[in-house]
Amino acid sequence: MPLEHKFIDFTLDDITRVKEEKLADGWRAVQVLCTNCDDGIEILYSYTKGNVMENYIVHGVTKQDTVPSITDAFIGMFPFENEAHDLFGVNVEGIAIDFAGKFYDLAQPEPMTIISPEKKAARDKAAKVAAAKKAAAQEKVETAAPSVEQQRADFEAKIANLDPEKQAKMRAAFEAKLAKQAKEGE
Amino acid sequence: MAKATIIPFGPQHPVLPEPLHLDLVVDDEKVVEAVPQIGFVHRGLEKLTETRDYNQFIYVAERICGICAFGHSMGYAETIESLMGVQIPERAEYIRVILHELSRVHSHILWMGLAADAFGYESLFMHCWRLRERVLDVFEMTTGGRVIFSDVCVGGVNRDLTPEMQRKMLDTLNGLKDEYGTLCKAFLNDTSVRSRLVGVGVISQESAFAQGMVGPFARASNVNNDVRCYGNGAYGKLSDFQPVLDTDGDCYARVKVRALEVLQSIDIIEELLKTMPDGDIAVKVKGSPAPGAQATNTLEQPRGECFYYAKSNGTKYLERMRMRTPTSMNLAGMATALAGCQLADVNMIVLTIDPCISCTER
Repeated sequence: MPLEHKFIDFTLDDITRVKEEKLADGWRAVQVLCTNCDDGIEILYSYTKGNVMENYIVHGVTKQDTVPSITDAFIGMFPFENEAHDLFGVNVEGIAIDFAGKFYDLAQPEPMTIISPEKKAARDKAAKVAAAKKAAAQEKVETAAPSVEQQRADFEAKIANLDPEKQAKMRAAFEAKLAKQAKEGE
Repeated sequence: MAKATIIPFGPQHPVLPEPLHLDLVVDDEKVVEAVPQIGFVHRGLEKLTETRDYNQFIYVAERICGICAFGHSMGYAETIESLMGVQIPERAEYIRVILHELSRVHSHILWMGLAADAFGYESLFMHCWRLRERVLDVFEMTTGGRVIFSDVCVGGVNRDLTPEMQRKMLDTLNGLKDEYGTLCKAFLNDTSVRSRLVGVGVISQESAFAQGMVGPFARASNVNNDVRCYGNGAYGKLSDFQPVLDTDGDCYARVKVRALEVLQSIDIIEELLKTMPDGDIAVKVKGSPAPGAQATNTLEQPRGECFYYAKSNGTKYLERMRMRTPTSMNLAGMATALAGCQLADVNMIVLTIDPCISCTER
């Protein structure tokens, strides 16, 4: 049976409750990871039991927040919580084996929180693409095809100053175009 | 009572070619506590996703470790395929699993050689590594590389296994099986080996589960965390798969589990080679993953379960890529196994965990 992956949003206050529930139910902690996002650090906790893996995500964690450790229940998570502290500057409280910022010997403090020019460019591009898509969708709604009567009125206004013979030819072409559009619409 | 002393072990140590440091608190010759520390060779590979697109990063992924190279590229590619909803051809799934199992064979034989060297059986070490060379020859024949293969791509594999290659692979494995059987007897039946390993560094089943141990380290304590059981890819096509388990939880059990897993991997390769379907080996993957999409994946590497996570920002550069390697899950178990052991057994216990610090410090 394949492994089923689930993503569940939760909050800082839920970390301890979920940890205790998982421990009591015989789940295994798989890992803890951080992602540096625009609204702060995102922390993902993975637990597994049987063929289910549940990934709990806390959004928008700041350096001022205190994140409770889960190592009192799942000791194997101590490298990841130390890593979260050293690489992302997350303030994890109560790590069973706490290296107090000395887990990695880093030249640059909290290196994973630095937004490199490449990352900034990727984010800007993603934002531009999203904005362009939104604008295109909006424009599509606003510039929905006018009614046939409206199109006819606009067309008549457009050809009003032409000589009658040319007007007749253009009108015939226009009617043929409208008929084709109506057929395609069906 | 003697005074407790702290003995530093590593990161440079004659029997442990891994940059791992241990603070061993000893009372006479007995280790009271062991505190592991890594962090000497951290490379920041996960941050490289900012400058390498998802196709380029596969070459970074397989450089995480020289022994699990194929597995890392496979696990990474599967994660990206899951992120983008790509279904790869069935033949590619077979080729991936065949070569991944071949990696397990060479990884375990390499480790057995190192273990033999550590307990002073140098001729066994040389025989193990001689056999491993033949596995590497198969890799060279099929992928063109002996350490880094560049065979996996997002969407499948780059090179097919021709009938000639398959025949040679089967011939090599058949020959290997006979010679390996002789080596196994030395590992599992030799009196001096047993006296060095039996009853050393015992971890109970409860303790192994509580500490989240993975791989052969956990399976030697009768904890089945083998993700091959989920039947991902061609593993699902096997007629039967039962993980190798042992109940003793000591160094000998860890050697035994790995020794038997080599034979199991050879059987898996033989079965898949016989049933491999014809067809394409890759599909074209275009575009970028959807913004905000995220995917996780697990793969049973030679050292145990490896976890992969990818998150997209809508461009071809990933917002976040994560590989949680098996050794990082086994550090806590290692500290437990060391507590209470004799100082002379430390290197043996650390080796039977098969730590890979370069994997851990991506």
